[in-house]
Amino acid sequence: MDLIDMVVKGVRKAEQLGASEAEVYIVREYSTSITGDSRGVESILSGESISAFVRVVIGKRLSVQGAMMSKPSDIETLVENAVKIARASPEDPNWVSLPKRISSSQIMDIVDERVKSPDIEFYTQIVKEALGKPSEISRNVLVNQAGVSLSFSERAIGNSYSSPISYEKTDFVFGIEVKAVGEGSESSFHSYYNAPTLKEFKMDKVVEEATKIALSTLKAKPVETGVYKVVFTPRVFASILQALIVPAVRADMVQKKRSPLANKLFSEVLSQQLTVIDDGAAPNMPGSGPFDDEGVATKRKTVFDRGVLRTYLYDTYTANIDGRESTGNARRSGSSNTFPDATNIIVLPGTEPLDSIIRDVRRGIIVYGTIGEWLSNAVSGFLNATVTHGLLIEGGEIKQAVKGVVISGDIYKILKDNLIGISKEFDAVSNYLVPAIAVDGVTVAGEGSGQRF
Amino acid sequence: MSADISIDFGKEVLDRVLRRGVEEGLVRLQERSYELIVFDNGVLRSYGISKVVGIGIQVFVNGFTGYSYTSSLSLDSIENTVDRAIKNAKALANVAKPRRFAEVSGVKGFYRTSYAEDPFAVDPSDKISLVRDLNVGSMKFSNIVSAVTRFACERDRRVVVSSRGVEVFNEVTAVGLSHMAVARSGEVMERVYDQKTFVGGYEHVKRFDWHGFVDEVNDLAVKASQARAPKAGVYRAVIDNELIGLMLHEAFGHASEGDLVLYNASVLRGRIGEKVASELVTIVDDGRVDGGYPVYYDDEGVEKRQTVVVERGVLRRHLSSRYVAGELGIELTGNARAQDITFNAIVRQTNFYMLPGDAKVEELFEGVSEGIYLRGRGAMGGQVDPSMGTFTFSVGPSYTIKNGEVDKLVRGVTVSGNILDVLKSVEIVANDLKVSTSVFGGCGKSSQLARVGDGGPHVRVAKIVVGGE
Repeated sequence: MDLIDMVVKGVRKAEQLGASEAEVYIVREYSTSITGDSRGVESILSGESISAFVRVVIGKRLSVQGAMMSKPSDIETLVENAVKIARASPEDPNWVSLPKRISSSQIMDIVDERVKSPDIEFYTQIVKEALGKPSEISRNVLVNQAGVSLSFSERAIGNSYSSPISYEKTDFVFGIEVKAVGEGSESSFHSYYNAPTLKEFKMDKVVEEATKIALSTLKAKPVETGVYKVVFTPRVFASILQALIVPAVRADMVQKKRSPLANKLFSEVLSQQLTVIDDGAAPNMPGSGPFDDEGVATKRKTVFDRGVLRTYLYDTYTANIDGRESTGNARRSGSSNTFPDATNIIVLPGTEPLDSIIRDVRRGIIVYGTIGEWLSNAVSGFLNATVTHGLLIEGGEIKQAVKGVVISGDIYKILKDNLIGISKEFDAVSNYLVPAIAVDGVTVAGEGSGQRF
Repeated sequence: MSADISIDFGKEVLDRVLRRGVEEGLVRLQERSYELIVFDNGVLRSYGISKVVGIGIQVFVNGFTGYSYTSSLSLDSIENTVDRAIKNAKALANVAKPRRFAEVSGVKGFYRTSYAEDPFAVDPSDKISLVRDLNVGSMKFSNIVSAVTRFACERDRRVVVSSRGVEVFNEVTAVGLSHMAVARSGEVMERVYDQKTFVGGYEHVKRFDWHGFVDEVNDLAVKASQARAPKAGVYRAVIDNELIGLMLHEAFGHASEGDLVLYNASVLRGRIGEKVASELVTIVDDGRVDGGYPVYYDDEGVEKRQTVVVERGVLRRHLSSRYVAGELGIELTGNARAQDITFNAIVRQTNFYMLPGDAKVEELFEGVSEGIYLRGRGAMGGQVDPSMGTFTFSVGPSYTIKNGEVDKLVRGVTVSGNILDVLKSVEIVANDLKVSTSVFGGCGKSSQLARVGDGGPHVRVAKIVVGGE
């Protein structure tokens, strides 16, 4: 099935059926995953799928549909359904138009031939090696699970205003979960790496991180309730940004009054030490692509410039409402309309080494892992998460491992007035490239552990 | 070759697989359509139909298994998929130790939900007006500040054919409506969500009193926003059908899944034959119970019937797939399920619930001088650790119990503890079994979503930790 042909056919069909505007987006994806457990490599799975997403507009009546394609003519059935539903739907008074111009940005390192045409043996060896590694580091560490997953996708989009464009992209994920056992205690930790290419992948580093944290958090227990200084490692800082800051800068959330950053444009809302960038065209990052999910070219934009909120993230629909241009942040999931979302989030690092930041903390908690950030409230900016892996520091020395405590506080107070330091080291955590930070005034309380549902 | 989701097509694909000299082959075909209409604060937010279609192929070569899938039903794609599955099995043979898979007997079976009116064929404008009227009506309700109303229907057709003689067809059609209302009283906002799902066609939607359903949710949200939180402490508690189902599924059901037992991540590992609950407690996993989600055959083509997990307080079985049953040396229970063809099947619950007892519901409240009546409607979720059995749930608006009577409504109630302690403290089990499912959600595990059902009768426990003020 030729993707560009399907796009052209779909748009034409919708217009023939009476659509005033139509858009067709097609994704072909080849995926492979290899997993293993303590007894060795366990399974190899691979497959291919083609999915199509259409937006059909009749005046101001809109319909959005998505489906997997089993044969080329499925696109026509999908478009017919979309037109039928658009006719029955009420008007959307905010509708202006689909993107009037679709185009691409230049991006480096989003395709790796080794991921595009995978040599299965090469990847099973990676998994096998990873499974043996933790016990080489320490006899007290076992592997629960390890695996890689690879995908190669081709994406094509076109609408009533522009001819179709397309691009190719690969995605590589490696993950490992280890369990440390000792002195009547157990501690598991999961580490992972995700990027379009293998260029910067260092398996040893990922495995060592998981092993080191699992070992150091044995015999973890809650600490006394109180207000603490806290160091968030890049992974935890990334999950906090994702749970609380990204939703607050999405233009749809701002327009629906579900963001504490509504009416805060050009105000200083974070510490002057913090500059946060959204970059959909960053090399070798998982959130990159030449265009977003509605064909608008991606770009780099500073969202918080030394603490000052400079822009919200827009897709065409929300940009039209505010009389602005899309920032190239459209995303779609299933058969939903597009919505603006972060591509890759980059926080500029500081100048101090992490070690000296930790030394200066004197008494506080270094947090390596949390769960339940979903209990945080992005509408109010209130942070709430359970620490699963942490270390209590006193006088610059590790006193005990910490788990089962809940951290909470107003994230805007924490990241503005209470920010103590930003490390010069930074880490890629999926589509986040961020340093570690140290903050003061975090409430630490309660008990509880486990997985969310 | 006629490419449709049927046993005949499955057999044609299987023939192509077996021609390649594999020891064993299994073909899964699937087509799932899902329609969702969402009204948010009086405005149509979305009306989408999504579809998953394709073929999954599992092969066994020299005792090793490989899996591959394709969404395309063309001959070329199918041949490529067989190639990939064989390549995967051979690649595994180079690096792995053989795993044991339990033997299956060739089941031939057919299940199709019967319905009078196909929900997908109903005029879109009829469905839109039903949801709009309910949603717009709710916004006029005093103190309701926000409301989201959704309609969904789903048809999931699955075929499994294997060289072990399996030929099964399972097609489920379900419809449902959900409503979420946010009420405000002064500074307090309270949110209540509920849904009602029918396995069957649009005739159920026409017959049901949706205005009454939505009014009840709105009313509960308003009353809860005016209620206070209970005093924190340890209570004797009556737990309703819905909440006992949620607690059992999350805190006990997951621990009974054989893969968690195999990976040493379950509190129920090594406990077969041990007392894990009060002798009033019998818990089953049943793919065919009324009100639940129909799973007559699992995705390995194993027949799913009632599996007794706990019998009068004693743990009898773990749930299994062919792989887990083979490795643990336990019986097959028909619990291998996959979200869709893009995943291999893993151990999942179907409809997990407690069997009813003899008592009338009123009897559970008798003699309780000070207690709490914990309700499931509006529960927001929680956290569990299946390796320990610990849980924390945010439950729905509930009631205090005073001198044997249901007393005041309370909001913001959380319960926590260890599920084995709670099940051991069950004092009375009522006779009012209720099992339900949802077309809006399901159970998530290893990035796969599965439709499930849960429930039970009302039960009373001697003590449970309740968080509040």
